[in-house]
Amino acid sequence: MTVNEPASTLDTDIMEVNMGPQHPSTHGVLRLKLKIDGETVVGCEPIIGYLHRGTEKLCESLSYPMVEPITDRLDYVCAMSENLGYMGAVEKLCGISVPERADFVRVIMVELNRIASHLLWLGTHALDIGAMTVFLYCFREREMILDLFEEFCGARLTYNAFRIGGLLEDLPPGWTGRCRQFLKVYPACQKEYEDLLTKNRIWLKRTKGIGVISGEEAVEIGLTGPSLRGSGVGYDVRKAHPYSVYKRFEFDVPTGENGDTYDRYLVRMEEMRQSLRIIEQALDTLPEGPIRAKVPNWLKPLKGEVYHSVESPRGEQGFYIVSDGTDKPYRMRFRGPSFANLQALPQLCVGHLVADVVALIGTLDIVLGDVDR
Amino acid sequence: MTNRIWGFIKSVLLIELLIGLSVTLRNQFRPHTTVEYPRETPNLKPRFRGIPRLRKNPETGEDLCVGCLLCEKACPDDCIKVVPEKRPDGKGKQAAKFIINYERCCFCGLCVDPCPTKPLTAIYMSHDFELASESRTKFYYPMNNLYEGAQIKEYSR
Amino acid sequence: MDTELLLKVAVSAGKVMTVLLVLSGSVAYLVLLERKVIAFMQSRLGPRRVGPSGLLQPIADGLKLFLKEDLVPAKADKWVFTLAPVVVIIPAFAAFAVVPFSGESFDVFGLTITPWITDINIGVLYILGISSLGVFGIIMAGWASNSKYPLLGSLRSAAQLISYEVPLGLSIIGVLMIAGTASMVGIVEAQRETGWWFFVPQFVGLFIFFVSGMAETNRAPFDLPEAETELVAGFHTEYSGMKFSFFFLAEYANMILVGCVATTLFMGGWMRPFPSVEALAWLNFLDFVHPFWSGFFWFAAKLFLVIFAFLWIRATFPRYRYDQLMHLGWKVLLPLSIVNVLVTAVVMLLMNSGSSA
Repeated sequence: MTVNEPASTLDTDIMEVNMGPQHPSTHGVLRLKLKIDGETVVGCEPIIGYLHRGTEKLCESLSYPMVEPITDRLDYVCAMSENLGYMGAVEKLCGISVPERADFVRVIMVELNRIASHLLWLGTHALDIGAMTVFLYCFREREMILDLFEEFCGARLTYNAFRIGGLLEDLPPGWTGRCRQFLKVYPACQKEYEDLLTKNRIWLKRTKGIGVISGEEAVEIGLTGPSLRGSGVGYDVRKAHPYSVYKRFEFDVPTGENGDTYDRYLVRMEEMRQSLRIIEQALDTLPEGPIRAKVPNWLKPLKGEVYHSVESPRGEQGFYIVSDGTDKPYRMRFRGPSFANLQALPQLCVGHLVADVVALIGTLDIVLGDVDR
Repeated sequence: MTNRIWGFIKSVLLIELLIGLSVTLRNQFRPHTTVEYPRETPNLKPRFRGIPRLRKNPETGEDLCVGCLLCEKACPDDCIKVVPEKRPDGKGKQAAKFIINYERCCFCGLCVDPCPTKPLTAIYMSHDFELASESRTKFYYPMNNLYEGAQIKEYSR
Repeated sequence: MDTELLLKVAVSAGKVMTVLLVLSGSVAYLVLLERKVIAFMQSRLGPRRVGPSGLLQPIADGLKLFLKEDLVPAKADKWVFTLAPVVVIIPAFAAFAVVPFSGESFDVFGLTITPWITDINIGVLYILGISSLGVFGIIMAGWASNSKYPLLGSLRSAAQLISYEVPLGLSIIGVLMIAGTASMVGIVEAQRETGWWFFVPQFVGLFIFFVSGMAETNRAPFDLPEAETELVAGFHTEYSGMKFSFFFLAEYANMILVGCVATTLFMGGWMRPFPSVEALAWLNFLDFVHPFWSGFFWFAAKLFLVIFAFLWIRATFPRYRYDQLMHLGWKVLLPLSIVNVLVTAVVMLLMNSGSSA
């Protein structure tokens, strides 16, 4: 026994903790295998697949219009974006051009959905870090958006809102007025969240310098969306490969500097404001006219393949369709942003404390429906 | 420098924490947003998609369904089953059996789109959504339970 | 002679029972109050179903907890597992022995009954000492559960409680110096003599006491030991039924205790506002029943204020992280409380020398 080496007598073990699939803060059925030394995380292994429903294979046995309800259920928090992406892919495949009014309405819906999705993210992220009230405020405002959606398409979560070639129904009378009402009310609500969080010293301590990822690393992993832009890479599908009518609207793509949790928080908060700007412009310039192009009832695209991606609130949501000339897709592939973003988690976690892991799950903003598909 | 001093004073006086506290205090006096669901029914919008139901012609009271099977084909979940038969008067067809399996229905509304009986579609998305049941067999709705007004609530309170 | 002793014992036992019952009832209703207050702050309604606007909810909750199956995990250390909640709840209730709930004694059958169970001359020390015993129960619970989340939670809790004992104790020193006594009743009387309540000269002390008190009782934003989103439920993850309700009762009783101590030490205990101003004597409007009740009313009102602040803070702030909590305790609150003690000492020295000169 040597007196000089007290470390050898202090033997510590690395403990393995299962976080999830049932855990208050894993947002669905994510399971994390954490290796912790005391409270410091030394290893993290996400285990996915608890929500696997085989949607890609399922789509091969469904005709093109039938796939839309399936896309609702991929990333159920922003079903409008999924709908838009799928519609865009099919319309690209069949060479259908959508009437202008339908495009405008779609953009309004998707941007409203972006706000709703970010509200859900903010609420759960803050709840994970312990700010319970923000969660309920966020849901209060999200409810207003969901009411608008219910009025437009009849559903509050799985919208199935668009149809190939345009829309099923036009905006109900008075809808634009109510939408403008929301635009007027909302900024004050967002200020409330910012009052509760942005400068709060506990919030700053919990988010600044946590989960730093550099822009290069983020690109290598394949991060997209606000998680990538928080690291200073200004890649936004709406700007990089404009789809629908996004070219006509003026909006900024906010980026962070440090690539930490706080910057990603700021980026998302700013994105909500930009979405408001887009909706306002779209409402101002909303053209009159038809809402649906002529589309055959039984859609049979020519042989070929197509990839179309949209900027969902979580990142680049891609749809890859291979058609063999029948009324059903030969192969359907979804590129989910949550799946790619989740890959960053093990790297972000290491070296932080257990309490930070929940903050990091929150900041990546994953939706398990999109990860497992 | 003055900025730093001002920042220090602000942080000692806990300014940002007090602002946060004022937000929660203010919200205490705002009207609540809770809908006490079983006591009050939620305010459903006209386009709300509840369970699909069948409609009769409001004037004649006859079935609107012409047994064309389009809804059955449009359903992504295979939850509709229609058996058509010849009408007694010999003109066209009608549904002899019309079964919807609500266990599978995903409330997407795709069955309503192709329905040929315009302007009133034979199948429509109703505003009923309270489907809870104690037995799986009760989710198979035969034709006479699909019309407006048929009782679907099993529980009380 | 013997009858006198017997009477004393009977009176004490009666008072203990009263305090226990009232305390248990108020703990139950504190839970309802918390749910309601936080609900209103979050633009919700809170419990509404049981009784008129949810007023009977605590009874329903209690019934549920009593009737629930009492699970002991297969690999748990059964004895320690059962003992832990008892070890937590006894100090939580025992500490109330020295809290003066009102100022005026009342006479029943020729006996003078004081509105406190006992007034020992080291009351403050007694509370500090006995309330820190609860941490043993928490460690036992975490260890005996033989599960990982409770273990993490109990270790966090132990570290947190021990580090916040220090600033908590030091923050009271200033009050003790001004009052010159450690008896709870004596401190309130001292506040009557000096003319103002001690939160005026000791506002730093009150702040430190309040923050450390929140940490001691595991309240948000210091609720790491049971951080729901991190450790599921911390040290009582594996507990259910009666045993869980003991932890629950102890937590809320501790919260009331911190409120009582803050009220007594810093806010003048049972006294009405501005006790030396005769013009405000109508504030003791309950005197027409008995002076005891007006004292109790003011005590309860101040207690409510403190507890409301607890709930308000819980509804507003995010949660600290474990290392940040330690940082705050050792590097901010501890130096601050020492400085507070020193400044108090210097000021008192100057004032005394001024008055004697």
